[in-house]
Amino acid sequence: MLQQKRWRFAILAILPTLAIFAWVRMYPIVETLRLSLHEWNILSKNKPFIGLANFRELFHDQLFLNALTNTSIIAFGVVILTVPTAMVIAGLIHHRTHSRFSGFYETSVFIPHVVSLVPAAMAWKWIFDAKLGPLNALLEFFGIPAQAWLFDPVLSVICIIVLCSWQALGYAVLIYLVGFKNLPVSLFEAAKLDGASGVQRFWHVSVPMLKPITLYVSVVTLISGFNVYAQAFVLASDSQGAPGRQVRVLVLDMLENSFRNYRVGYAASEAVVLLSIVLVLTLIQFGLLREKGRK
Amino acid sequence: MRAYRSSTHKSGSSSVAARIAALSLTAAITAVSGSAFAQTINVWSGYPEMAPFYEHVAEGLKEKYPDLEVNVEAIALREHEKRIALGLTSGSAGVTVIELAGSTASRYIENDLLPAAPDAVASFVTNKDNFGEFFVDAASKNGTVYGVPLFRGQGALFYNVDMFEAAGLKEPPQTMEAYTDYAEKLTQRDANGKATVSGWSLRLSGGGQGIAEKFWINLFQYGGSVIEEVSDGKWQANYANEAGRKAVKQYLENVHVLKTVSPEMPADAEAFERGQTAMFIRESWVIADIAAKSPDLNYATAPLPVGSIALPANLYVNAVEGEDAEAAWAYVQAANDPDNLVWLLDNVGWLPNRSGVDYGVVTEKVPAYGAFVDYPADYKFFTLPAIGPIEEVLTRLAAQLTNAYGDASLAEDDAAIDAMLAKAAEETNNILKREGLLAE
Repeated sequence: MLQQKRWRFAILAILPTLAIFAWVRMYPIVETLRLSLHEWNILSKNKPFIGLANFRELFHDQLFLNALTNTSIIAFGVVILTVPTAMVIAGLIHHRTHSRFSGFYETSVFIPHVVSLVPAAMAWKWIFDAKLGPLNALLEFFGIPAQAWLFDPVLSVICIIVLCSWQALGYAVLIYLVGFKNLPVSLFEAAKLDGASGVQRFWHVSVPMLKPITLYVSVVTLISGFNVYAQAFVLASDSQGAPGRQVRVLVLDMLENSFRNYRVGYAASEAVVLLSIVLVLTLIQFGLLREKGRK
Repeated sequence: MRAYRSSTHKSGSSSVAARIAALSLTAAITAVSGSAFAQTINVWSGYPEMAPFYEHVAEGLKEKYPDLEVNVEAIALREHEKRIALGLTSGSAGVTVIELAGSTASRYIENDLLPAAPDAVASFVTNKDNFGEFFVDAASKNGTVYGVPLFRGQGALFYNVDMFEAAGLKEPPQTMEAYTDYAEKLTQRDANGKATVSGWSLRLSGGGQGIAEKFWINLFQYGGSVIEEVSDGKWQANYANEAGRKAVKQYLENVHVLKTVSPEMPADAEAFERGQTAMFIRESWVIADIAAKSPDLNYATAPLPVGSIALPANLYVNAVEGEDAEAAWAYVQAANDPDNLVWLLDNVGWLPNRSGVDYGVVTEKVPAYGAFVDYPADYKFFTLPAIGPIEEVLTRLAAQLTNAYGDASLAEDDAAIDAMLAKAAEETNNILKREGLLAE
């Protein structure tokens, strides 16, 4: 009887949280799934059911395919640039833990993560500016011709990868630092006794031991990379002057389909594709972590 | 609240205190009731430069509506579009005066999200002394008036007189072919031959439908249009043809062959005001912008070779009943007051649509307005069709054009340009077909 009462109390206690979770988290996802099977222009009261027609159209839509390609390149590019850099920087900061500047190192790396995105992107827009930007000035100083960073189809994607990596780095370094601090000191001492150099200890001890952290950082960075939007928007935005090339990414395409083309059902089908990608990546993460746990 | 406390705690202690308390209570009630009955309307605009005008109109209404509070929110056009879509469908907008192009408003009207204008307002709009037929049609749907015309976006050539003189050019270009010749002569280059001042600033990059709208203006000079109405309510793409090829080729020739302009060069009004481009096509608001930012610029304007876009913006109200709605419609009509319209032209630069108003005080003072109001008798105008998918048609065409402008291999290959145009036109026709608007 007491057991039953405890259960009832526990369920009643958790119910408000569950209700809020269902309303805020689950309902929008279910509604997005439902909308993706309907034709809806956001204004009409009618939402005719059209089955998988939105998805069929999606995979023949050049703009969507372009957005999917760009987004995937950006997401994986950010991971490739951020994860090794973050690991090396965290290793260096950890190595200098007892330095009186260690706090400064950690703060300076983490600041880009907390800086508001729009002013940061505006600053990068200036850096990449073809005519006035310091990046081209530096290139020209070394005799390298100036580049149209924000206008070339390839370079404009690279610019977004650099901006996203610059922002993601602080968080990744922070997580790696926690990982480094939890590594057993005895292993490093043993390696040192065996004559391993600092680089060898990093490569043969730290990197394998940090595998779970690397997996976590990779997946979190990859997922946030797939949600890229504001960076692409700000780098290409300008009320006048010379707006940059609009790098089409999935979230931007969704917004355009929803509010400019008035095709909310179609945009919802894009959201479902994005959700599926993120879900698969998360499942891969769980799978790899479980595999690691069993070993 | 404060008055109530003092009267309970100090009752009977002093008659003066009681009177003060009573007065305070009365004042508090008056203040509360005053704020409860104060009328509040919102004004949503998609052009930030219009904010001073809407505030000016609100100021003028204070005498008639002393309690009217007008919240003017003028933001960038694309954000404005999102705000309208979300605000009107969720019903959270409150009583709002909405500035919107007739082509976009038609969607909202079809879905009963914008009501017809009250009879008095409709009579004002349909009065031939106030507005021409073109503007009445743009503010109406199936013969019913929904909005009140306010201003229009109309293009003309802006050119730097000093640069023209330095290049030995005596008058503005008269044909589209001459535009390219002029651009070549006007381009200033460094020792390596790289353009430092563009001869003709073209819209080559950025997001949204602006690229396609600017292309349409050039295309129109060659006799084409992005879509044309073939039969009643049925449309088809009209740019995969000679006019389209000429228009695209002109862009490509300037960017890749003559190199009079490049995507990364400063562009648009900002570049013109700084002397970084010799000429460009834009709407009349640039005149007020130049007056504010670069008053010493020696420039002039000229009509385009064939005609121009005329994109009317109207004012709509999302309600017709209640005191706030009444105030909102009064505000809309006040915006069309002759004094306010002259103020609009003088201070903002957008062209008012109302006829029978003496704009001479502004146009005589600023000769640059001449190209917008004093054009040849056979000058033609076009506007964006009031059909649902027009934004999608233009946005998708803009994406195709951006890619084409960046492709140097197209520049001297007519067959490749034709193939690009055919592909884009197919996409346009597919959109029209999906919406049941394609002409067979």
